[in-house]
Amino acid sequence: MSLAAGPGRGRVADGQLPDDLKLVVDKHVAYIKSLDTRRDELEYHLTEHLRVSGIYWGLTALHLLGQPDALPRAGVLDFVFSCLHENGGFGAAPGHDPHMLYTVSAVQILAMLNGFEELETKVPDGKMKIAKFISKLQQPDGTFAGDEWGETDTRFLYGAFNALSLLGLMPYQRPNDAPLIDVSAGTAHVKACQNFDGGFGLSPGAESHSGQVFTCLGILAIAGELDSHLGEEGKDRLGAWLSERQLESGGLNGRPEKLVDACYSWWVGSSMTMINRLHWLDQPRLTKFILECQDPDEGGIADRPGDMVDVFHTVFGIAGLSLMGYDGLLEVDPA
Amino acid sequence: MASGHGIPRVSGAIHDHSQEAQDKVRKQIDQYQTVERDVVQRIRTNDFSNDTLQLTSVLLKQNPEYYTVWNHRRRIFLDVFEKEVSSKGAVLDSGPSPTDQKDAEAAEKAGLTVSQREIQLIVNEDLMFLLPLLKQFPKCYWIWNHRAWLLATVSKHLPVSNALEQWQNELGLVAKMLALDSRNFHGWGYRREVVTNLETLSGQSMAEQEFAYATKMIQANLSNFSAWHARSQLIPRLLSERNASSADRKKLFDEEFDLITRALYTDPYDQSLWFYHQYLMSTLDSSNKNSPEILKPCTNAERIEYLEQELDSVMEMLDGAEDCKYIYQALLEYTSRYLEIGSGKTKVTTIEMNEWLNALRKIDPLREGRWKDLEQKMNL
Repeated sequence: MSLAAGPGRGRVADGQLPDDLKLVVDKHVAYIKSLDTRRDELEYHLTEHLRVSGIYWGLTALHLLGQPDALPRAGVLDFVFSCLHENGGFGAAPGHDPHMLYTVSAVQILAMLNGFEELETKVPDGKMKIAKFISKLQQPDGTFAGDEWGETDTRFLYGAFNALSLLGLMPYQRPNDAPLIDVSAGTAHVKACQNFDGGFGLSPGAESHSGQVFTCLGILAIAGELDSHLGEEGKDRLGAWLSERQLESGGLNGRPEKLVDACYSWWVGSSMTMINRLHWLDQPRLTKFILECQDPDEGGIADRPGDMVDVFHTVFGIAGLSLMGYDGLLEVDPA
Repeated sequence: MASGHGIPRVSGAIHDHSQEAQDKVRKQIDQYQTVERDVVQRIRTNDFSNDTLQLTSVLLKQNPEYYTVWNHRRRIFLDVFEKEVSSKGAVLDSGPSPTDQKDAEAAEKAGLTVSQREIQLIVNEDLMFLLPLLKQFPKCYWIWNHRAWLLATVSKHLPVSNALEQWQNELGLVAKMLALDSRNFHGWGYRREVVTNLETLSGQSMAEQEFAYATKMIQANLSNFSAWHARSQLIPRLLSERNASSADRKKLFDEEFDLITRALYTDPYDQSLWFYHQYLMSTLDSSNKNSPEILKPCTNAERIEYLEQELDSVMEMLDGAEDCKYIYQALLEYTSRYLEIGSGKTKVTTIEMNEWLNALRKIDPLREGRWKDLEQKMNL
């Protein structure tokens, strides 16, 4: 799975009218399938530190496009298992150090491919081993470090909650056993990251950012505290901030006065869905923007029209369309 | 899972299928993989030598997103530090030599032990290595992390006075990075981290100094959203550290309104300015869990007084800016709070509110769904 950008660029085909824009499903499937054949490019090798996440992004896009079997299941699982370390963490590729980000991607892939049985056969008590790698990274203040080197941020906290819930090992999923993590310390930290404008930042005191809004809402949703924490007033305030992310082009930005980017279709769109305010965005305009970011001939989606496509923007563009119920796409879970 | 936007956008060569171009790329891949294999092999055999360090530099200059190589680099340093601290001599040095005497003298002069001075030299050299990388890749998480790790090493091994000086230098670096991109959230985040460390080491608050910095950044560019944000974060702390009386608090509150109102009159279309106006207004909103405290106490009478004052002031801004959506949004938001707490007050009529909402719908049809809900919520 190559994470190199290109070869295509996001654009509207010659002579195509805006109303004729449609998702080129087959082209996107072919684009994602072609990614692992690009080993003759330097970028393929320079992006190896993202490989497992790249596979997760490609696989998710294929699932949403209704082609879950387009990548060989056995090959993907073999690769994922080859990234697993003795301590239960996954690296981005064989030989890369274990890290929260890639452990989460690996668990997401295993869940998507129903691969937990194979995991248990290969590694006895594998699910618990992974869960323990994650739980050991929790810090006294509730946050999670990315790895043994200690950097913390809300992305890792979300990743921990997401992966543990997919493993079925969140405390509420096994009420009779000792909890592996301190959920309320985690959600308390998230609440401390919230600002007066309703948004959330990377750490307490940091300015609101759409990506962090997604991770923080996801954490609260998984912990079952979203509604009780925000209330209708809180949802209105956050919804107002999120709705201002949409600009005239129809696309969304991550913070005030920044450029629009197709991937925020997901970070903002899923956040809006979690607080029942998706209708505060102009969905036909956002749909049009995402479609303008795709390469109609070679497949793939770019951050903005005119830029090179890549698998990251491809999956989050498609996931954004799925949230809005785009015809023919599978429905996605916002958290 | 967000990994940020580390995905490089290179191209050009990809479409060049000539044999010559392909050979060139093949050679680049071979070179890269040779160094990579060499580093992996050396770390596997615990070769924490200077040569290994140099090889990690080669890889990281080409690919600073390669997090495992940053880890290897730290493994090398940890090995050296451990040997320094246990006084077995550094691997990076080559045994006893006539320079030993010189090193001892230099260390004594700096008020450090020989091993402390060695650690300081290594850290400083690596901080220099990071500078061009940070400038080239200002959004790379791993470079910022490594920098923070080096500084934490200083705090751990060096006397407080040296550590303070080292962290203090970082403020200069962040200022330079923020001058290049005033919105870089890595830069602002690192600044908060530096300040926290300086405050812990010195036991003294830097709130006043940081407030002055935010003011300077705003004066340089009124549209600096991140600087307004920083200012908003500092005010409650500043007031509490000044032991401000309720009169002092009111004075500062009024001054902040003066500052932002003057700016808004100049450019009511600037989103950053409205962010700060909303921040000041939110301090009057007891229903907002995240609203900071400025007035203390904050009575209902004061709330009504400020809401009336600001509704008047914002209404005046409409003159000549009738197409500015932020003004209508502010009027509707503040009116809704005003009606909630000032029951019986009739400063604003339903007719006016309907006019504002209709104007907003016309100017900003993108958010029609939100305006429709607002209409219902406000019983318009």
